[in-house]
Amino acid sequence: MSHAPAIRLQGLVKRFGARTALRGIDLVLEGPQLVGVVGPDGAGKTTLLRSIAGLLEIEAREARVLGFDLHADVVPLKARVGYVPQTFGLQRDLSVLENLRFTARLHRIPEAELRRRADPILESTKLLPFLDRPAGALSGGMKQKLAVANALISDPELLVLDEPTAGVDVLARDAILSLLSERRDRVLILISTSYLDEAAVCDRLAYLDDGQVVACDTPERLRAAVPLDLYRAWGSDPRAIARAARALPYVSAARASGRFARVEIPHERNPGSSEVDAGLRSLRGVGLVERVPVDTESMLLHLARAGGGGSFEAAA
Amino acid sequence: MSAASAPRGGSIISVRGVTKRFGDFVAVDDLSFEVAPGSVFAFIGANGSGKSTSIRMMIGILAPSAGEIELDGVDVIRHPRRVRERIGYMGQKVSLYTGLTLRENVEFYAGLHGLAGAALEARWSALRERFTLIEAERERPENLPAGIRQRAGLALATLHQPRVLFLDEPTAGVDVRSRALFWDLIQDESDAGVTVFVTTHFLEEVDYCDWVCFIEEGRLIANAAPDELRARFGGGYEIELELAEGDRGAAPALRGALARDGVAVAGDEATIRIHAAALDDAVLAPVARAVAAHPGSRVRVDPPEMVDVFRRMLS
Repeated sequence: MSHAPAIRLQGLVKRFGARTALRGIDLVLEGPQLVGVVGPDGAGKTTLLRSIAGLLEIEAREARVLGFDLHADVVPLKARVGYVPQTFGLQRDLSVLENLRFTARLHRIPEAELRRRADPILESTKLLPFLDRPAGALSGGMKQKLAVANALISDPELLVLDEPTAGVDVLARDAILSLLSERRDRVLILISTSYLDEAAVCDRLAYLDDGQVVACDTPERLRAAVPLDLYRAWGSDPRAIARAARALPYVSAARASGRFARVEIPHERNPGSSEVDAGLRSLRGVGLVERVPVDTESMLLHLARAGGGGSFEAAA
Repeated sequence: MSAASAPRGGSIISVRGVTKRFGDFVAVDDLSFEVAPGSVFAFIGANGSGKSTSIRMMIGILAPSAGEIELDGVDVIRHPRRVRERIGYMGQKVSLYTGLTLRENVEFYAGLHGLAGAALEARWSALRERFTLIEAERERPENLPAGIRQRAGLALATLHQPRVLFLDEPTAGVDVRSRALFWDLIQDESDAGVTVFVTTHFLEEVDYCDWVCFIEEGRLIANAAPDELRARFGGGYEIELELAEGDRGAAPALRGALARDGVAVAGDEATIRIHAAALDDAVLAPVARAVAAHPGSRVRVDPPEMVDVFRRMLS
């Protein structure tokens, strides 16, 4: 493709007083796709998303979003972006419909067009019966569904959502994810999340740590790059199995999960699959040993180690 | 350890018919469950479902509108102060004093429990080692990353060696690495005999627990072992046993052997498929024998994801 990427950031820096939240973000993203922004708390995810939505003054060698320079007038950019902040940002004393109408008027969308766009969204999120309820009186899950619906009303070219599913029940999470999934081949969507299952379904993941993008690739390729073998040792006392597995010289981590112990073996320590197989099988209480593909958790753990995330020095 | 009277029915926490109203709003509605001693008990629900309100009643800082709560043999409603020594609590916002170093926080909390001198030294040096807090000791909590603050919070909650730990969303807002470390520590505590009552909204974390209680709008929706929910709402386990290319002739005999062991089998000549509601020894042992007897065979177990289990339970 010859056209410019939807997002092109080079050396983007954001300072809040003495604190540097973003210290040189390099990120190039083509649209349309669903991009997960992941990384430890305090890595700069929210600041990055707000910068991309044109909500912050930033410094950068280059910072273009949908062709607009973030250093210049961002008003026309904001008209093309749907943004959902981390904390509920709608009018609590306005009803569901009034909130949507308010947004529609800002974008000069006529009433009939508003209903044409909103009704299918309200239908699929089961918000339709609550049109007249004040937003402040909705449950947590309904509030978040409304916030996402509201961001979709203007038919934005870019959707930026900051942890839209945090703390809501799994069905509300599904409803939000399916709204986004329906649009992932038409719109560029950026979503920050701490849920492993959501990270797993993204087309691409941008892993942030300490104000920088440490990795940005498809989940498949990020998983393939993890220098780790993952095993499950099934048995009736997975906690005891995990403890015993940790004592094996080639095991770096083991934890009981359901009916198995999840065992990590770094490539450089792996003595070969037959030895690992025999070693795990010889542990007391192990019934079955299974080698499994690297999962999202291992992938994110690896990125956290590689980036030094959560290390003591990083925050000092 | 305090000489508590044996809890009724072998449980360390007993919640019976507990309801909490705030005016017209029913935050917790007729909640009843039992917690086994030494277990990791997951208390699950969306934000606003009544989890924190329930915990506040269980630790004796909020009186229920109705119902009974017993913790380690103590009637929590009648003697709320008596449960304090038996429990450790860590809230969603870790309660460390900013301005004080972690070490000073430790001394402050220890003082509240009358822990000082050599006893404190021994206890704390063991904890800081196990929780990898040695480097953090001289720092103020506001300068520590969320994950380390979280571990420090857990260390403080367990300083006085409580019988029961209440952890209210301890893994919210920390990265996956800190979450993993934190669950290792929780399982260690439980292995040492401590009962851990923990809330989370990461459903995969339910599998790190022995029991799960799910509440919605203050009402109990499920109260079972994770694998029981898996059997009821997840359709059970699928196991696939693929024989090595030169060994496929053995499939019929192997299928017969598994069937004689009471394992339900299906599949074609190369692959044996097994469906099991639960993955206990009655299934594991015969499958393990089959794998051992057929070198080069590959086994794949497909446990239903907890997220899917909850999805089906709710819809």
